[in-house]
Amino acid sequence: MTSQSQSLTLRERAESYMSLIGPLAMIFAIIAVMAVVEPARYFRLSNFDIILKEAALYMPMAMAMTLVIVTRGIDLSIGSVAALTSIVMAYMVKSWGYPWWLAVSAAISFGALCGFINGMVITRLKVPDLIGTLAMDLVYRGLCLIAVKGIVLSRFPEEIVAIGRGDIPGFLPLPVVIGLVTLVAGYFIYTRTYLGRYAQAVGSNPEAAELAGVPVDSTRVRVYVLMGAMAGLAGVMLAGKLNAVQATSAPFFNLHVIAAVVVGGTSLFGGRGSMLGSLCGVLLLAMMINALVTLRIEFFWQSVASGVVIIMSVAFYTWLQRKDRDGESNWLGALGKPENIRMLRLFGVIVAVLIAIFGLGAVLPEPAAT
Amino acid sequence: MTETDAPVVSMRGITKRFGGVTALEDVDLDVYPGKVLAIVGDNGAGKSTLIKILTGVYQPTAGEMMMDGKALVMASHADSIAKGIDAVYQTLALADHLTPAANMFLGSELTKSFLGYRYLDNARMKAEAERVLKERLGVVLRSMDVPTDSLSGGQRQAVAIARAVYSTDLKVLVMDEPTAALGPQETARTLKLIEAVRDQGLGVVVISHSLDDVFRMSDHVQVMRRGRRVGVVKTSESTTQEVLGMIVGASDQGGAAA
Ligand SMILES: Nc1ncnc2c1ncn2[C@@H]1O[C@H](COP(=O)(O)OP(=O)(O)OP(=O)(O)O)[C@@H](O)[C@H]1O
Ligand SMILES: [Mg+2]
Repeated sequence: MTSQSQSLTLRERAESYMSLIGPLAMIFAIIAVMAVVEPARYFRLSNFDIILKEAALYMPMAMAMTLVIVTRGIDLSIGSVAALTSIVMAYMVKSWGYPWWLAVSAAISFGALCGFINGMVITRLKVPDLIGTLAMDLVYRGLCLIAVKGIVLSRFPEEIVAIGRGDIPGFLPLPVVIGLVTLVAGYFIYTRTYLGRYAQAVGSNPEAAELAGVPVDSTRVRVYVLMGAMAGLAGVMLAGKLNAVQATSAPFFNLHVIAAVVVGGTSLFGGRGSMLGSLCGVLLLAMMINALVTLRIEFFWQSVASGVVIIMSVAFYTWLQRKDRDGESNWLGALGKPENIRMLRLFGVIVAVLIAIFGLGAVLPEPAAT
Repeated sequence: MTETDAPVVSMRGITKRFGGVTALEDVDLDVYPGKVLAIVGDNGAGKSTLIKILTGVYQPTAGEMMMDGKALVMASHADSIAKGIDAVYQTLALADHLTPAANMFLGSELTKSFLGYRYLDNARMKAEAERVLKERLGVVLRSMDVPTDSLSGGQRQAVAIARAVYSTDLKVLVMDEPTAALGPQETARTLKLIEAVRDQGLGVVVISHSLDDVFRMSDHVQVMRRGRRVGVVKTSESTTQEVLGMIVGASDQGGAAA
């Protein structure tokens, strides 16, 4: 029997590792560039510590987001959920005198509740995932602002700080251990549990899943609950890492996590995901951002970089699949198609209008100074 | 097997109306164990509606069904599966990204437990899937670890059929146009699968538009026209011309008079 399992072509076997090849290639590209440009400051032990702790923050969320995306869902509310749960935790330890471990448990449970609400909005009210979680993002962020206004809550118990940035002597930092444990748990969930199997089935073919007796809606709700709980955990980790919380914390969690998951080979069209790929994706993004910082590139370019990474990886995987189906296409040949010529003309018109507007501004007399 | 064999499932006087539309009018149908019944008829003749009633998807407006001589009432498709009647739809039934074994066991996964916690037993599902495909359908896949969408149309059909025959005591397997999207080679393979299922004593009902396929695989042909049964013939005693005539109405009295 084993001989049949062995008779796959090299290509077919490489396919299952495709999700790792992409991010690993980019990781090596970053290492290569930094080795040339800034070797002294990038390849320092203290810098790797920074990279790992940055990556650790995103690991629990990437794990849950992998499952959400596998079901064809998406969660854009995780940044606000993380901020809201860290605020809940902050109030519990600072104003209401709860012990740290109760506050942390409450934060994770509160995140799960937010995820449950997201799941209900999507499955019961039938609001599409994208719009539903985007709207809930506004709701949760609004609640954050109502709760703390512009105040910064800071100085938490040392256990919470340890969760965010503590070191275990002679071992990996505590947040990295937490992150890796959640990813291993995610791998188990994905490959060995009903939830993981049903998430794949729902994302792959909802009608077939329904026909086979898979509880489609409750599977979707469950992955959002897991997502919310992991966003809650990330809220605690962020609060500990910065030892401070405010209403505007974690603004880009959603796109950052989605970028990491997608670059790791999880398909935005559902059905296919990879926990190991998500781990690589998280490491890649942490290294990329760290490289931008090391090169002293302005912070706001991070947002540009995350966006470009999402577009590039989705386009890459889509192209891979199309290549399988249609064979390689000829770029120059494609330019000859009338449809594409019309597109090129449209692009030309837009650029021409912009040039005309700016040109006109330069020609017109300056407005009189008041 | 002889004509005196009792049918495993019979339908009598089935009528189905959708609002004002009469899709079926007073239709009978008999499924015999170990025989293939082909249903043929023009588009809109009521073939799909008839088998949807047989598989519990629709409830008949009038008429009754019997299984092994007892009254058979099915409230849903899940109900029909529980009673031993399952259907294979080529397009709907499989999740492309899952492995053949995961598809076969979808919704009724095998598990093992650790300290009382139940989790999926992937190794056993794979071994069982491999065994069922080989022993019951004579199909050996190149690999059990690939996603189902990398299989050929015929192999996918085998996975879907294996899924149905695995469920405890299947008595009747229903297929709506199983060869519609397949090339000649895959069609031949699918006909082999149907034979394998039949030889295990199951009743098989197949809708097909290809009279060629019908004459290669079936024991009986039931011809439908405009929601009525115009006749049932023994395949071995009939010809393509005769069946074609019944489909279009040339050999039917009402049709000839009109
Ligand atoms: N859900 C429904 N609502 C209303 N009318 C229906 C419905 N399902 C079927 N019909 C009608 O019943 C008649 C029989 O349809 P059916 O799908 O059973 O035909 P068929 O023999 O399977 O045709 P084909 O060969 O095209 O698949 C048609 O006139 C169709 O319009
Ligand atoms: Mg039909």
